[in-house]
Amino acid sequence: MANVEIDNVSKAYGPYKIIEGLDLTVRDEEFVVLVGPSGCGKTTTLRMIAGLETVSGGTIRIGGRDVTNLRPGLRNCAMVFQNYALYPHMTVGENIGYGMKVRGEPRAAVEKAVKDVARVLNLEQYLDRRPKQLSGGQRQRVAIGRAIVRSPDVFLFDEPLSNLDAKLRIEMRTEIKALHRRLAKTIVYVTHDQVEAMTMADRVVVMNGGRIEQAADPITLYEKPANLFVAGFIGAPSMNFIHGEIVARDGALCFTEPSGTMLTLPKIREAAYARSVGKPVVLGVRPDHISHHGAPAGCAIRMVVKDVEPLGPHTLVIGKIGDVPFTAQMQVGVAAEPDRPFDVALDLDKAHLFDKSTGCVITA
Amino acid sequence: MMRNDPIKHVFIWPAVLVVLAISIFPLIYSLTTSFLSYRLIPPIPPRVVWLGNYVSLLQEPRFWNAILTTTLIAFISVALQYAIGFSVALALNARVPGERLFRVALLLPMLLAPVAVALVARMIFNPTMGPLNQFLTQFGLANLPFLTNGRWALACIIAVEIWQWTPFVILMLLAGLQTLPEDVYEAAELENASGWQQFWGITFPMMLPISAAVVFIRLIESYKIMDTVFVMTGGGPGVDTETLTLFAYQEGFKKFNLGYTSALSFLFLVAITIIGVTYLALLRPHLEKRR
Repeated sequence: MANVEIDNVSKAYGPYKIIEGLDLTVRDEEFVVLVGPSGCGKTTTLRMIAGLETVSGGTIRIGGRDVTNLRPGLRNCAMVFQNYALYPHMTVGENIGYGMKVRGEPRAAVEKAVKDVARVLNLEQYLDRRPKQLSGGQRQRVAIGRAIVRSPDVFLFDEPLSNLDAKLRIEMRTEIKALHRRLAKTIVYVTHDQVEAMTMADRVVVMNGGRIEQAADPITLYEKPANLFVAGFIGAPSMNFIHGEIVARDGALCFTEPSGTMLTLPKIREAAYARSVGKPVVLGVRPDHISHHGAPAGCAIRMVVKDVEPLGPHTLVIGKIGDVPFTAQMQVGVAAEPDRPFDVALDLDKAHLFDKSTGCVITA
Repeated sequence: MMRNDPIKHVFIWPAVLVVLAISIFPLIYSLTTSFLSYRLIPPIPPRVVWLGNYVSLLQEPRFWNAILTTTLIAFISVALQYAIGFSVALALNARVPGERLFRVALLLPMLLAPVAVALVARMIFNPTMGPLNQFLTQFGLANLPFLTNGRWALACIIAVEIWQWTPFVILMLLAGLQTLPEDVYEAAELENASGWQQFWGITFPMMLPISAAVVFIRLIESYKIMDTVFVMTGGGPGVDTETLTLFAYQEGFKKFNLGYTSALSFLFLVAITIIGVTYLALLRPHLEKRR
């Protein structure tokens, strides 16, 4: 059992509080991705788990054992660093075997373990090379090899793919996922790339300003964001936000935006929305929940097109509604032209309403 | 400007001529002088003796003594400079409180003129009137023959060399230490490598190229030691602390035995070249691994 429990952990550098009262439990064998913008505290959290940063308050337990004040070497975590942190003067084999060597394991055992890892990671023919003689992807694999060779309780990944090109990143994503299935170990993975987070994680923890905004599986995050931050951060292109308010009209609840367009809210959610009538709210609609043809009254809105981006499988129509930027994902060949108005239909069943003052989603 | 533009000669030739005039010509001149029996006092007309000067030098015990003395000073002082310098550089790199003050204070000896240092050292080590012996007698110790006994005098010279030139080693190694990546140490921390294992497994090998350069510079410089010995002991007692440079000085500028001194200078050059080449040859396999 190697679950990681972070209990009310805080981190401050002098008067600056980076993380305050963070609670998170990573289950045994779970793949958890910490994601968020730069400076949100995700790397600091990871480094506190590793023991490379001290904790200002709270406790960290790994497998039930309090490791808060243990030095990194005694926590049985392995870490893959953003810049690989390979020992430049050692060969690939020596890099992978270094951890076992310093633990005083017999040479034969080290050699066997290094060979096994090299086979798993396709590094067999590079064992005698030095890091400098390897490509970025190969170095990354050596760093992973060094982490897995001694079978730690927890793997920590600190933006491991951010130095690789796009194609290699996708390949390595798949490799790391496969590795997780094979090793069945707890993984805490940090990235700023939400696509990486969504594709790899069992559970994604979205962080912002040293707090956890939402922790859930990728689909839940996408379909049921807890607040405006998560809604805007997860999904590419990101969710459109239209500011307005809820009004009651002809026995139904409608969302109205400053230009006066009325959008009829789904009946099924009226009970939840009824309490917010008259209050400022934000309507969130994903670009892929917008269509062009057959817009029935009550869900149509007009945007002014600024640019049309054909991406192959679909086309992005980018523009504005009023002063607010708005992006719609349309079928290929849609008749939109820059500087012309363009009517779109919003799938309001899949839209979200957020309380403007708190930023939280309005639910039943 | 084209590659074959004649203007290139205007730029190249002055430099070539300067090098010829101040470096190549004296070298060739002294090489030819080394084959002559050529004395200014008493003035005797130069006479070609071919390798005569070299042969008599190689048969001269004083020459071998000077080589041994110089080698002892160079190797012992550089080894200790390196060991002490590395330790101090590691300590300064660990960001101890007051580290900036220490850094400046520890670098000061390097900035002093070696003659001035040697003069002060000569006073401190003076066996009868020096403060060091006075201090030691406070504890009931007998007066030590610092500069009057051959071995003690050599030890004193080595101590002064270490005091003056360790700062250079500290400066270079500290610069090297500060370029080492931090994350490899974090990786080693996670592997539970002890401080000792991190030093021998990571720091020392990663510092090897700069260490090689520092030791090389100091070794060659130490072989050229002159002023410290000249002022502190004048090569004495007897010729116990006479170095190669001092020997050459005595022969060339006291006896004005120019042919003999030129031969001595050339043997000195050969000795330094052999040491340098051997040193680099021994280190090459280790350095190439790190390329």
